[in-house]
Amino acid sequence: MLEIKNLECSIGDTEILRGLSLSVNAGEVHAIMGPNGSGKSTLGQVIAGHSDYVVTKGTISYLGQNLFDLEPEERAREGIFLGFQYPVEIPGVNNTYLLKAAVNAKRKHQGLEEVDAFEFLKIAREKMALLGMDTKFLNRGVNEGFSGGEKKRNEILQMAMLEPRIAILDETDSGLDIDALKAVAAGVNALRASDRAIILVTHYQRLLNYIQPDFVHVLSEGKIVKSGDKSLAVRLEEKGYDWVNEGNIE
Amino acid sequence: MKSSSISMEDLKKAVGNLPNDSLSSTRNTALDGFLKFGLPTTKDEDWKYTDLSRISDISNRWLAEGAKQDIYDPSEETIKSLMNSIEANWLVIANGIIDTKYFNNDKSIDIKRYSETAAPFIHNRPLSYLNAALMKDGLKIYIRSSTIKPLGLLILDNTKANTSLSQVNIDIEVASDCKAEIIEYHHSIGKGDHYSNSVAAIKINKAASTYYTKIQDRQINHTQTTHTAIDLKKNSILNMACYDIGGGLIRNDIDINIDEPGVDASLNGLYLTGENQHIDNHIKVEHRVGPASSSQEFRGILNGSNCSVWNGKAIVHEGADGTDANQKNQNLLLSEKAEINTKPELIIYADDVKCSHGATVGQLDESAIFYLRTRGLSTKQATEIITQAFAADLVNRTPISQIKNTVSSLVASRLAKLIMDH
Repeated sequence: MLEIKNLECSIGDTEILRGLSLSVNAGEVHAIMGPNGSGKSTLGQVIAGHSDYVVTKGTISYLGQNLFDLEPEERAREGIFLGFQYPVEIPGVNNTYLLKAAVNAKRKHQGLEEVDAFEFLKIAREKMALLGMDTKFLNRGVNEGFSGGEKKRNEILQMAMLEPRIAILDETDSGLDIDALKAVAAGVNALRASDRAIILVTHYQRLLNYIQPDFVHVLSEGKIVKSGDKSLAVRLEEKGYDWVNEGNIE
Repeated sequence: MKSSSISMEDLKKAVGNLPNDSLSSTRNTALDGFLKFGLPTTKDEDWKYTDLSRISDISNRWLAEGAKQDIYDPSEETIKSLMNSIEANWLVIANGIIDTKYFNNDKSIDIKRYSETAAPFIHNRPLSYLNAALMKDGLKIYIRSSTIKPLGLLILDNTKANTSLSQVNIDIEVASDCKAEIIEYHHSIGKGDHYSNSVAAIKINKAASTYYTKIQDRQINHTQTTHTAIDLKKNSILNMACYDIGGGLIRNDIDINIDEPGVDASLNGLYLTGENQHIDNHIKVEHRVGPASSSQEFRGILNGSNCSVWNGKAIVHEGADGTDANQKNQNLLLSEKAEINTKPELIIYADDVKCSHGATVGQLDESAIFYLRTRGLSTKQATEIITQAFAADLVNRTPISQIKNTVSSLVASRLAKLIMDH
């Protein structure tokens, strides 16, 4: 589904990704772990199409097409979803309005009719119940005055409504208390499907107790230095990232 | 010093050609007043950023062409389509001529023409003198009890000739203890160049409260100046909202006078500008006694290469203790060439006052645009949503739902057009 080869990218004069390769197939859940500054968030931003990140080398192919040929909104409509580490507050823009506009932008792209208001609300309410979100969030400004946990739940709600083919969740677990973490994990697990891939970008192993990954990768200095199954995450948690940097690479 | 002057000889002739009636002496006094001042120039502090040469140009051409006034009789359909869903008791002023045929007799509102009663007071200002010198007639409106339907003033111009000028002069008084809703709506069509010069005096008596909405949706090639002088008496409440949606060169002056205590005046405004537009709002609130409060909050969305102006002033005079005055102006610039000269001003001579002011000028939040794009929205759609929200936050404060709906749809379609040019 997503094939990243030798990706190099910079922001300004700073080189961040230095030859990253990753292959993700439908139905798989990948966890990308790594210390601060290793390039975890950059990977998500590059896949989503942020223009501040300049790709200097390498390729990303998504469903057989060159991802770099697509604008961020086209990527979204083609089924790529990025759950932001720091979701943006947009004062005055109603949450329902955004959700509906997003769902309809995708439906239009697929040649489908716009979703009707009644059906939309019904689905939104179901998804919110799953995430333990109060429906009052529907009428608030997008992330406006939301707590950290509320923002992350709101990201998962957007993902649930958009039903992406591939979701990159950037530190979705950071700043969550245990109840919020469980709710978010339940939301993600509910979306696991044989035709969908999920990339979890995380600093800690904690989230992986609730969402079991098929693969764990360790990112360091802009490339993947180690890959394994979920036991890798446990070893990392015990030994710290220095363990990887100390040359224990197979 | 910019802005050339108006040809005095031609102006004298035009005033002389107006019918000899009960307003003649007022016109002549006003003409003398204008001859003394001439048009303001950019040398005048209050007109520093607004060059009126477009006005002198239109006026001179109009005067040279014989100062003719086309009669414009808008059909009921035109009026209905313009008003969208605003239900009001409409007084129409079309090409400067008062038309009362859409106005239903209403026990709560008395209307009389100046020619039937008396001439209005003329403020010592060049454009007010020009207005009075050329006015054919004006309206004295007395709101004696709470309005059942809002009073609507539809100021409509249709320029069929190359150039035209229209003068609007209105004097409104709201009786003590009543609630009044007033809507002033400016609209224009026509290919020619037009200058509308409008003057309104509003007196709100003791413990009366007034919602005053002023909407300007003129053509981009048309020019307008308005002067609104508001006198607030003891314990009265004013809620005023000013929306500038269209127009070419627009200058609004709002002067609020508070000389009795207990007054609460709140002013909101929104201006949307694009290429070839210049909108200048000058607001002055004089706090002569306390306690009283005034607040000004204006927002602007600017695109294209234009340079607009906002000046909000509050003067707290000696002894006006207990005054609470604040001013806020926020601007969103959609283009690198758009400019706003913003100046919130507080001049305080009293001791016990609470005052605040602030102005912001910013661009669209790129991170918000990117966020929306990652949700499948186009850049245009994202820009529209964010600018709409910025405007809606202000528009939604009006408690009158039909005004909220009408203004929202005017703003939405204007913004969509502005963003298309973005």
